[in-house]
Amino acid sequence: MSGIDAVKKVVETETQARRIVDEAAAKAQKVISETREQAERIRQEAVASAQGRRDGILREAKEKAEAEALQSDQETEQILDTYRKLSDERKAAAVSKAMALIVNG
Amino acid sequence: MNTMSESLQKLQNRILSDARLKAQETIKEAQANAQQTLEEARRRAQKESEEIIAKARVEAENVRRSILSSKVRVNRLRILDEKNRIVQDIIHTVEDQLSSIATTDQFENTAQRFVAEAVKAVESDQPIVRIGFKDATKKNLDGMSRVLPKGGKLVIDEKPIDDFGGVIATDPEGRVVFNNTFKSRLERLDNQLLTLIASTVFSE
Repeated sequence: MSGIDAVKKVVETETQARRIVDEAAAKAQKVISETREQAERIRQEAVASAQGRRDGILREAKEKAEAEALQSDQETEQILDTYRKLSDERKAAAVSKAMALIVNG
Repeated sequence: MNTMSESLQKLQNRILSDARLKAQETIKEAQANAQQTLEEARRRAQKESEEIIAKARVEAENVRRSILSSKVRVNRLRILDEKNRIVQDIIHTVEDQLSSIATTDQFENTAQRFVAEAVKAVESDQPIVRIGFKDATKKNLDGMSRVLPKGGKLVIDEKPIDDFGGVIATDPEGRVVFNNTFKSRLERLDNQLLTLIASTVFSE
Protein backbone atom coordinates (compact mmCIF):
# COMPACT_ATOMS: atom_id res chain seq x y z
CA MET A 1 0.00 0.00 0.00
CA SER A 2 1.37 3.34 -0.94
CA GLY A 3 1.57 6.31 1.41
CA ILE A 4 -1.09 8.12 -0.56
CA ASP A 5 -3.45 5.17 -0.20
CA ALA A 6 -2.80 5.13 3.53
CA VAL A 7 -3.64 8.81 3.86
CA LYS A 8 -6.80 8.26 1.81
CA LYS A 9 -7.79 5.45 4.16
CA VAL A 10 -7.26 7.66 7.21
CA VAL A 11 -9.27 10.50 5.66
CA GLU A 12 -12.11 8.07 4.84
CA THR A 13 -12.04 6.71 8.37
CA GLU A 14 -12.14 10.21 9.86
CA THR A 15 -15.08 11.07 7.62
CA GLN A 16 -16.85 7.95 8.85
CA ALA A 17 -15.99 8.88 12.46
CA ARG A 18 -17.33 12.41 11.96
CA ARG A 19 -20.54 10.95 10.54
CA ILE A 20 -20.92 8.73 13.62
CA VAL A 21 -20.45 11.74 15.92
CA ASP A 22 -22.75 13.95 13.83
CA GLU A 23 -25.43 11.27 13.79
CA ALA A 24 -25.16 10.94 17.56
CA ALA A 25 -25.44 14.72 17.93
CA ALA A 26 -28.53 14.74 15.70
CA LYS A 27 -30.03 11.89 17.69
CA ALA A 28 -29.28 13.72 20.92
CA GLN A 29 -30.88 16.86 19.55
CA LYS A 30 -33.92 14.80 18.59
CA VAL A 31 -34.09 13.31 22.09
CA ILE A 32 -33.94 16.80 23.61
CA SER A 33 -36.54 18.12 21.20
CA GLU A 34 -38.92 15.21 21.83
CA THR A 35 -38.36 15.57 25.55
CA ARG A 36 -39.33 19.24 25.43
CA GLU A 37 -42.51 18.32 23.57
CA GLN A 38 -43.24 15.59 26.10
CA ALA A 39 -42.60 18.00 28.97
CA GLU A 40 -45.03 20.49 27.44
CA ARG A 41 -47.61 17.70 27.02
CA ILE A 42 -47.14 16.72 30.67
CA ARG A 43 -47.70 20.33 31.68
CA GLN A 44 -50.73 20.76 29.47
CA GLU A 45 -52.30 17.51 30.68
CA ALA A 46 -51.68 18.43 34.30
CA VAL A 47 -53.11 21.93 33.82
CA ALA A 48 -56.14 20.57 31.94
CA SER A 49 -56.73 18.05 34.70
CA ALA A 50 -56.37 20.78 37.35
CA GLN A 51 -58.73 23.05 35.41
CA GLY A 52 -61.24 20.20 35.35
CA ARG A 53 -60.93 19.79 39.09
CA ARG A 54 -61.19 23.58 39.50
CA ASP A 55 -64.45 23.61 37.55
CA GLY A 56 -65.71 20.74 39.71
CA ILE A 57 -64.76 22.50 42.94
CA LEU A 58 -66.47 25.73 41.84
CA ARG A 59 -69.59 23.89 40.64
CA GLU A 60 -69.78 21.95 43.90
CA ALA A 61 -69.33 25.13 45.97
CA LYS A 62 -72.03 26.91 44.00
CA GLU A 63 -74.44 23.97 44.35
CA LYS A 64 -73.72 23.75 48.07
CA ALA A 65 -74.23 27.50 48.53
CA GLU A 66 -77.47 27.41 46.56
CA ALA A 67 -78.70 24.52 48.72
CA GLU A 68 -77.78 26.49 51.85
CA ALA A 69 -79.47 29.58 50.39
CA LEU A 70 -82.61 27.53 49.78
CA GLN A 71 -82.46 26.32 53.38
CA SER A 72 -82.09 29.94 54.52
CA ASP A 73 -85.22 30.80 52.48
CA GLN A 74 -87.13 27.95 54.11
CA GLU A 75 -85.99 28.96 57.60
CA THR A 76 -86.96 32.56 56.86
CA GLU A 77 -90.41 31.48 55.70
CA GLN A 78 -90.84 29.55 58.95
CA ILE A 79 -89.79 32.59 60.97
CA LEU A 80 -92.20 34.82 59.01
CA ASP A 81 -95.01 32.31 59.54
CA THR A 82 -94.24 32.24 63.25
CA TYR A 83 -94.28 36.04 63.42
CA ARG A 84 -97.61 36.20 61.59
CA LYS A 85 -99.12 33.65 63.97
CA LEU A 86 -97.70 35.47 67.00
CA SER A 87 -99.07 38.72 65.63
CA ASP A 88 -102.54 37.20 65.26
CA GLU A 89 -102.41 35.72 68.77
CA ARG A 90 -100.85 38.66 70.58
CA LYS A 91 -102.03 41.72 68.68
CA ALA A 92 -104.88 42.43 71.07
CA ALA A 93 -102.56 42.23 74.09
CA ALA A 94 -99.98 44.46 72.40
CA VAL A 95 -102.64 47.05 71.49
CA SER A 96 -103.98 46.97 75.02
CA LYS A 97 -100.53 47.49 76.59
CA ALA A 98 -99.69 50.22 74.07
CA MET A 99 -102.98 52.01 74.82
CA ALA A 100 -102.23 51.84 78.54
CA LEU A 101 -98.75 53.25 77.96
CA ILE A 102 -99.93 56.17 75.80
CA VAL A 103 -103.00 56.97 77.89
CA ASN A 104 -101.43 56.50 81.33
CA GLY A 105 -97.70 56.70 80.68
CA MET B 1 4.46 -3.33 4.31
CA ASN B 2 2.50 -5.65 6.53
CA THR B 3 3.57 -3.71 9.58
CA MET B 4 2.40 -0.46 7.99
CA SER B 5 -0.90 -2.00 7.09
CA GLU B 6 -1.42 -3.20 10.62
CA SER B 7 -0.58 0.21 12.04
CA LEU B 8 -3.02 1.85 9.66
CA GLN B 9 -5.73 -0.62 10.65
CA LYS B 10 -5.10 0.14 14.32
CA LEU B 11 -5.27 3.87 13.64
CA GLN B 12 -8.55 3.43 11.78
CA ASN B 13 -9.96 1.29 14.60
CA ARG B 14 -8.87 3.89 17.15
CA ILE B 15 -10.46 6.74 15.21
CA LEU B 16 -13.73 4.85 14.89
CA SER B 17 -13.65 3.65 18.50
CA ASP B 18 -13.14 7.23 19.73
CA ALA B 19 -15.96 8.42 17.53
CA ARG B 20 -18.32 5.70 18.82
CA LEU B 21 -17.37 6.47 22.40
CA LYS B 22 -18.03 10.18 21.85
CA ALA B 23 -21.33 9.35 20.16
CA GLN B 24 -22.38 7.17 23.10
CA GLU B 25 -21.49 9.91 25.56
CA THR B 26 -23.43 12.47 23.54
CA ILE B 27 -26.51 10.23 23.48
CA LYS B 28 -26.13 9.32 27.14
CA GLU B 29 -25.81 12.97 28.11
CA ALA B 30 -28.86 13.84 26.02
CA GLN B 31 -30.84 11.04 27.66
CA ALA B 32 -29.77 12.18 31.13
CA ASN B 33 -30.77 15.73 30.27
CA ALA B 34 -34.08 14.44 28.93
CA GLN B 35 -34.72 12.54 32.14
CA GLN B 36 -33.94 15.62 34.19
CA THR B 37 -36.11 17.79 31.94
CA LEU B 38 -39.05 15.39 32.33
CA GLU B 39 -38.66 15.21 36.09
CA GLU B 40 -38.52 18.99 36.26
CA ALA B 41 -41.56 19.23 33.98
CA ARG B 42 -43.49 16.82 36.21
CA ARG B 43 -42.53 18.81 39.31
CA ARG B 44 -43.59 22.07 37.70
CA ALA B 45 -46.82 20.56 36.41
CA GLN B 46 -47.58 19.22 39.86
CA LYS B 47 -46.85 22.62 41.41
CA GLU B 48 -48.93 24.43 38.82
CA SER B 49 -51.81 21.99 39.38
CA GLU B 50 -51.64 22.46 43.12
CA GLU B 51 -51.68 26.24 42.68
CA ILE B 52 -54.72 26.05 40.40
CA ILE B 53 -56.54 23.81 42.89
CA ALA B 54 -55.60 25.98 45.89
CA LYS B 55 -56.78 29.09 44.04
CA ALA B 56 -59.98 27.29 43.08
CA ARG B 57 -60.69 26.42 46.71
CA VAL B 58 -60.29 30.07 47.73
CA GLU B 59 -62.45 31.13 44.78
CA ALA B 60 -65.05 28.50 45.67
CA GLU B 61 -65.23 29.74 49.25
CA ASN B 62 -65.66 33.30 47.97
CA VAL B 63 -68.43 32.19 45.60
CA ARG B 64 -70.13 30.31 48.43
CA ARG B 65 -69.86 33.27 50.81
CA SER B 66 -71.06 35.70 48.18
CA ILE B 67 -74.17 33.64 47.38
CA LEU B 68 -74.93 32.96 51.03
CA SER B 69 -74.24 36.42 52.40
CA SER B 70 -76.46 38.12 49.85
CA LYS B 71 -79.22 35.58 50.57
CA VAL B 72 -78.83 35.96 54.33
CA ARG B 73 -78.90 39.76 53.95
CA VAL B 74 -82.08 39.61 51.86
CA ASN B 75 -83.73 37.23 54.34
CA ARG B 76 -82.75 39.37 57.33
CA LEU B 77 -84.33 42.34 55.60
CA ARG B 78 -87.49 40.32 54.92
CA ILE B 79 -87.70 39.41 58.60
CA LEU B 80 -87.09 43.02 59.66
CA ASP B 81 -89.69 44.25 57.15
CA GLU B 82 -92.24 41.77 58.47
CA LYS B 83 -91.55 42.73 62.10
CA ASN B 84 -91.82 46.38 61.17
CA ARG B 85 -95.06 45.76 59.27
CA ILE B 86 -96.55 43.97 62.29
CA VAL B 87 -95.47 46.72 64.70
CA GLN B 88 -96.79 49.45 62.38
CA ASP B 89 -100.09 47.59 62.03
CA ILE B 90 -100.42 47.54 65.82
CA ILE B 91 -99.51 51.22 66.07
CA HIS B 92 -102.18 52.06 63.48
CA THR B 93 -104.73 50.11 65.49
CA VAL B 94 -103.61 51.99 68.62
CA GLU B 95 -103.97 55.30 66.75
CA ASP B 96 -107.49 54.30 65.65
CA GLN B 97 -108.44 53.45 69.22
CA LEU B 98 -106.90 56.68 70.53
CA SER B 99 -108.89 58.63 67.93
CA SER B 100 -112.13 57.16 69.15
CA ILE B 101 -111.36 57.31 72.88
CA ALA B 102 -114.13 59.87 73.38
CA THR B 103 -116.68 57.11 72.83
CA THR B 104 -115.27 55.01 75.68
CA ASP B 105 -116.01 55.16 79.37
CA GLN B 106 -112.40 55.98 80.25
CA PHE B 107 -112.54 59.25 78.29
CA GLU B 108 -113.46 61.69 81.03
CA ASN B 109 -110.79 60.48 83.42
CA THR B 110 -108.20 60.43 80.69
CA ALA B 111 -109.04 63.90 79.39
CA GLN B 112 -109.07 65.34 82.92
CA ARG B 113 -105.68 63.79 83.64
CA PHE B 114 -104.27 65.20 80.35
CA VAL B 115 -105.56 68.65 81.26
CA ALA B 116 -104.14 68.40 84.79
CA GLU B 117 -100.73 67.28 83.47
CA ALA B 118 -100.66 70.12 80.94
CA VAL B 119 -101.68 72.75 83.47
CA LYS B 120 -99.04 71.54 85.89
CA ALA B 121 -96.40 71.60 83.16
CA VAL B 122 -96.97 75.25 82.15
CA GLU B 123 -96.88 76.38 85.79
CA SER B 124 -99.25 79.31 85.31
CA ASP B 125 -102.23 80.55 87.37
CA GLN B 126 -104.03 81.54 84.19
CA PRO B 127 -103.35 78.73 81.78
CA ILE B 128 -105.17 78.54 78.46
CA VAL B 129 -106.06 74.96 77.71
CA ARG B 130 -107.18 73.84 74.26
CA ILE B 131 -108.88 70.50 74.14
CA GLY B 132 -110.10 68.62 71.08
CA PHE B 133 -111.06 64.97 70.60
CA LYS B 134 -113.00 63.30 67.83
CA ASP B 135 -116.65 62.68 68.77
CA ALA B 136 -116.25 64.46 72.16
CA THR B 137 -119.49 66.03 73.39
CA LYS B 138 -119.99 69.06 75.60
CA LYS B 139 -121.36 66.73 78.19
CA ASN B 140 -118.25 64.63 78.51
CA LEU B 141 -116.02 67.75 78.45
CA ASP B 142 -117.96 69.46 81.26
CA GLY B 143 -115.77 67.96 83.94
CA MET B 144 -112.60 69.51 82.51
CA SER B 145 -113.21 72.86 84.19
CA ARG B 146 -112.88 71.17 87.57
CA VAL B 147 -109.18 70.52 87.02
CA LEU B 148 -108.44 74.05 85.83
CA PRO B 149 -107.27 76.72 88.28
CA LYS B 150 -109.68 79.58 88.84
CA GLY B 151 -107.96 81.89 86.34
CA GLY B 152 -107.69 79.18 83.72
CA LYS B 153 -109.47 79.19 80.40
CA LEU B 154 -110.73 76.15 78.51
CA VAL B 155 -111.01 76.29 74.73
CA ILE B 156 -112.86 73.41 73.15
CA ASP B 157 -111.91 72.51 69.57
CA GLU B 158 -114.57 70.78 67.56
CA LYS B 159 -111.96 68.82 65.65
CA PRO B 160 -109.34 66.53 67.18
CA ILE B 161 -106.08 68.33 67.84
CA ASP B 162 -103.02 66.86 66.04
CA ASP B 163 -105.00 64.16 64.20
CA PHE B 164 -105.80 61.89 67.17
CA GLY B 165 -106.95 64.45 69.73
CA GLY B 166 -105.58 65.75 73.01
CA VAL B 167 -104.79 68.82 75.02
CA ILE B 168 -102.43 71.77 74.54
CA ALA B 169 -101.83 74.17 77.44
CA THR B 170 -100.06 77.54 77.29
CA ASP B 171 -99.44 80.39 79.68
CA PRO B 172 -101.43 83.60 78.87
CA GLU B 173 -98.51 85.04 76.89
CA GLY B 174 -98.10 81.87 74.88
CA ARG B 175 -94.44 81.58 75.89
CA VAL B 176 -94.73 78.21 77.58
CA VAL B 177 -96.51 75.53 75.63
CA PHE B 178 -97.12 71.97 76.71
CA ASN B 179 -98.43 69.64 74.05
CA ASN B 180 -100.30 66.75 75.63
CA THR B 181 -101.96 65.38 72.52
CA PHE B 182 -101.93 61.69 71.69
CA LYS B 183 -99.66 62.41 68.75
CA SER B 184 -97.17 64.17 71.00
CA ARG B 185 -97.37 61.40 73.61
CA LEU B 186 -96.81 58.82 70.86
CA GLU B 187 -93.69 60.71 69.80
CA ARG B 188 -92.41 61.14 73.38
CA LEU B 189 -92.97 57.49 74.21
CA ASP B 190 -91.86 56.19 70.81
CA ASN B 191 -88.93 54.07 72.01
CA GLN B 192 -90.85 52.60 74.94
CA LEU B 193 -93.81 51.93 72.70
CA LEU B 194 -91.78 50.04 70.09
CA THR B 195 -90.00 48.01 72.76
CA LEU B 196 -93.29 47.21 74.49
CA ILE B 197 -95.00 46.08 71.28
CA ALA B 198 -91.99 44.08 70.08
CA SER B 199 -91.54 42.33 73.42
CA THR B 200 -95.24 41.56 73.69
CA VAL B 201 -95.52 40.10 70.19
CA PHE B 202 -92.13 38.56 69.51
CA SER B 203 -90.75 37.45 72.89
CA GLU B 204 -90.52 33.71 73.60
